Amino acid sequence: MNHTTNSVPDPAVLQATRARAANWPFRSVLIANRGEIAVRILRTVQALGLEGVVVYHAADRKAPAVQLADQAIEITGATPVAAYLDAKQILAAAKSSGAGAIHPGYGFLSENAGFARAVAEAGLIFVGPTPEQIELMGDKVRARAFVEKGGFPVAPSAIEDDDPATFAERALKVPFPLLIKPAAGGGGKGMRIVREPGQLKAELERARSEGQRYFGDGRLYVERYIENPRHIEVQVLGDAHGNVVHLFERECSVQRRFQKIVEETPSPALSPELRKRICETAAGIAREAGYRNAGTVEFIFGAGGEFYFLEMNTRLQVEHPVTEMITGKDLVLEQLRVAAGEKLGFTQEQVTSTGHSIEFRIYAEDASRGYTPTTGPVLLLRPPQGEGVRVDSGIVEGQDVTAAFDPMLAKLIVTGRNRAEAIARADKALAEYALLGCITNTAFLRRLLNHRAFVDGQVHTGFLDAHPEIAAQPELDQATLCKLLAASALMTKPMRDVADLVPDMHAAIGSWSN
Amino acid sequence: MHHAFKLEENEYNLELSRAPAGYRLHLADRTIPVNLHLEDDGSAVLTVNGRSEKVLVATRGDDVFIHLGGVGYQLRYEHPLQRLAAQAQGSAEDHVRAPMPGSLVALHAKPGQTVARGESLLVMESMKMETTIAAPRDGVIETVHFAIGQTFDRDALLLSLVAMVVEGKKS
Repeated sequence: MNHTTNSVPDPAVLQATRARAANWPFRSVLIANRGEIAVRILRTVQALGLEGVVVYHAADRKAPAVQLADQAIEITGATPVAAYLDAKQILAAAKSSGAGAIHPGYGFLSENAGFARAVAEAGLIFVGPTPEQIELMGDKVRARAFVEKGGFPVAPSAIEDDDPATFAERALKVPFPLLIKPAAGGGGKGMRIVREPGQLKAELERARSEGQRYFGDGRLYVERYIENPRHIEVQVLGDAHGNVVHLFERECSVQRRFQKIVEETPSPALSPELRKRICETAAGIAREAGYRNAGTVEFIFGAGGEFYFLEMNTRLQVEHPVTEMITGKDLVLEQLRVAAGEKLGFTQEQVTSTGHSIEFRIYAEDASRGYTPTTGPVLLLRPPQGEGVRVDSGIVEGQDVTAAFDPMLAKLIVTGRNRAEAIARADKALAEYALLGCITNTAFLRRLLNHRAFVDGQVHTGFLDAHPEIAAQPELDQATLCKLLAASALMTKPMRDVADLVPDMHAAIGSWSN
Repeated sequence: MHHAFKLEENEYNLELSRAPAGYRLHLADRTIPVNLHLEDDGSAVLTVNGRSEKVLVATRGDDVFIHLGGVGYQLRYEHPLQRLAAQAQGSAEDHVRAPMPGSLVALHAKPGQTVARGESLLVMESMKMETTIAAPRDGVIETVHFAIGQTFDRDALLLSLVAMVVEGKKS
């Protein structure tokens, strides 16, 4: 078969790493996460000949990670989410299972410096950066100051901590419109746009109370708000020996409620020169921090080609697969390798970008109802297959989709020789992606994918807000309605039973109307 | 007999009868020959007006799930008796249902309490956002079905008001 896309990981790299892994300081890895990312990490852990251990809450008993793991240890909590945030239980599970390393995945404890420290204190290896690096980048204000001091671009801003008494006054001097952000924030929570100086005071108060509520920290900062910005981020990877490389950018501009839905690489917005510059800036920031393991430097990118540091995520990202598909590098394998103390196995020049890859987040949500979560049983699941199609999934038939967790069920990653081929393959794959029992966003993703602006690569983070028609439920045509009613009637026993009571001959006489 | 399915917010009345080969679907304005042949793998061949195509179908209780033409749909069978009962029981506004899945954060009303239309009854959280649910009409709280901290699905019955007595309607 003539494969036009990379195979991840490169079989030769996998084989060689597997041989060396026999001598790594850990032979068993506990994955402190759930859903698709737990499955994703397990796959590489097991491919390297290591033992994969997962922790799980009872709500995830039927989840694929629990089935695939070499050991699965139940954890409990006041809520299912609380269980996955319980560092004590997770460390106890690592101890009882004999795991030598802990991979935190994304979310939950992945960017918790205290947890990283506790893992080290328990004599285990944390698959991630140092606690100090997590702390530095976790404090948005400190991170920004660090990046600015290194001579890298940051947006004009006012920071409350610099002098709380004059904060509002200094904020008014930043060019409007402004974006207020919580110092301890992330994920878009507590952010507010201010267009009129007169609104500033009230919005600061609101942002402060939200910051307090979500992060237990009411400190704020404001920066110039870039209109119709793009969100472009760069994957970086460092080892404990001072080597840092980038693995190119990802464009994550299609967002709803400040959360990413579609990510792709290369970014359609970058010229080769700009691509080089933004990627080198990211690598420079990571190098300045002496960064170890996988991380992502996020930038805000303006219509004029200007870009500013936004934040650095000190973990594996949800959207890491698109990077894997164009570089051929298995990022989880590289993370484990760095955690084992090895040097990076390649130089910057050896990281190349081939083809185009797009990731679609498959959410249990109803786009036409304001992207509200949906729930239900997974009665039938048929993920798409085919050339260039990868599905990283955290669900199987027989499971229930509940409101207990984040609504992301799986990720569809589609790769082609170029963007047009990736889009065409994605449209087919999304149409084939069937999940019965719970409404998902696949039909919405197809409408988005076929929108002129997306096809042209002209999207920004406010794109979906500017085009509410993409989220709206399209009018059902009569032919489709007729088919749906026919299938429903024929699948419903009371209706079929009543119909079957009347003999064929009778029915054949003529139209039976009510 | 009146059968019906609900799709989104719309209700569709229909009947099914046997035909020499397969069935007939009777809609308000027309009758169409239809058939559905189930395969072992959960897929099915749906024939409407002599044209066949492959669909995926599954049911659970009264819910029918269909993947057709690259889109997933959910329809709900409305039981004839339940529909009659619902019509007789009066206003749907007696029942306050969850607009989305979530959990109960705060409760501002207790059973026996009199509330005015628009008054805040409870606060729910979904997707880290708080939503206040207000009384759909003036009335008296009959039952609160969830406690603070409990989670629920969309459409779950959160709170009932004492049934409204509609003049001239007895059941």
